[in-house]
Amino acid sequence: MATIETRPEGSRKARARSAAAGRSWIATTLTGVALLILLGVHMVANHFVVESVGGLRSYRQVLDYIRHPVILATESVFLLVVTVHAMLGVRGVMLDLDPSPRARRWIDAGLIAFGVLTLAYGYFLIGTLASRA
Amino acid sequence: MSERPPGADAREERGPVLRKGVGIPASGWIDPRGRALGGFAFSANRVTGLGLVFYLYLHLGVLSLLLGGERSWNDFIRLATSWAFLSLDVLLILGILYHGLNGIRVALVGSGIVADRQRALWWSLGAVGTIALIAATLHIIGSR
Repeated sequence: MATIETRPEGSRKARARSAAAGRSWIATTLTGVALLILLGVHMVANHFVVESVGGLRSYRQVLDYIRHPVILATESVFLLVVTVHAMLGVRGVMLDLDPSPRARRWIDAGLIAFGVLTLAYGYFLIGTLASRA
Repeated sequence: MSERPPGADAREERGPVLRKGVGIPASGWIDPRGRALGGFAFSANRVTGLGLVFYLYLHLGVLSLLLGGERSWNDFIRLATSWAFLSLDVLLILGILYHGLNGIRVALVGSGIVADRQRALWWSLGAVGTIALIAATLHIIGSR
């Protein structure tokens, strides 16, 4: 009986792409798990245990909060993790559109650049506020 | 003469690839109509994820007001404690809870820990999320 090859043996490139997709899934999952903890801490600390109108810290309370070294470190890690998770998520959505390998490289480079800019601005913001505390 | 399988001629034709068979087209998540629970959950996860990315940059923008000093931040607090703004906070909490809890489900199912319980997980985590959303909403309303 004649057969038709519906799932040809993967080329080296296809295997590399599959491995990259696996690594991306693992990275998204790990950052997602970390976010559950970090976002929980961030939300509770900033909006649920603050004695203030609307659950928002006043200017002075924000500076007092960010002055604490543990909080500063936690918020810095939170910014890193949320940015990586967001960029991986956007990458996943864009790769759903089945771009060409060339477009895929542009997407990766663009998201890395965008993520680095986000981190740079976020750390500038955190650093400036911490220096005022 | 060898017999050609059904569809062999169509496969050799040039043109767009017509997807067929189990599953949905990779780019088809945007329209979950007529799909099973998993399709809806995936679609909602994508939508809430994109919404949260948008919010991340909105949040960074809002926090930039802190650079303007106490007056600029206090002006924002007056706006942020309006009913309209607090309603958007509830929407934000809904997005965070859905994306986070569905993420737990996807991680548990995808890693094979509870591969055959995804429907039960969806409903049980949905119940947890609903309770958390009600509690958060009451807190937000009470904080005003």
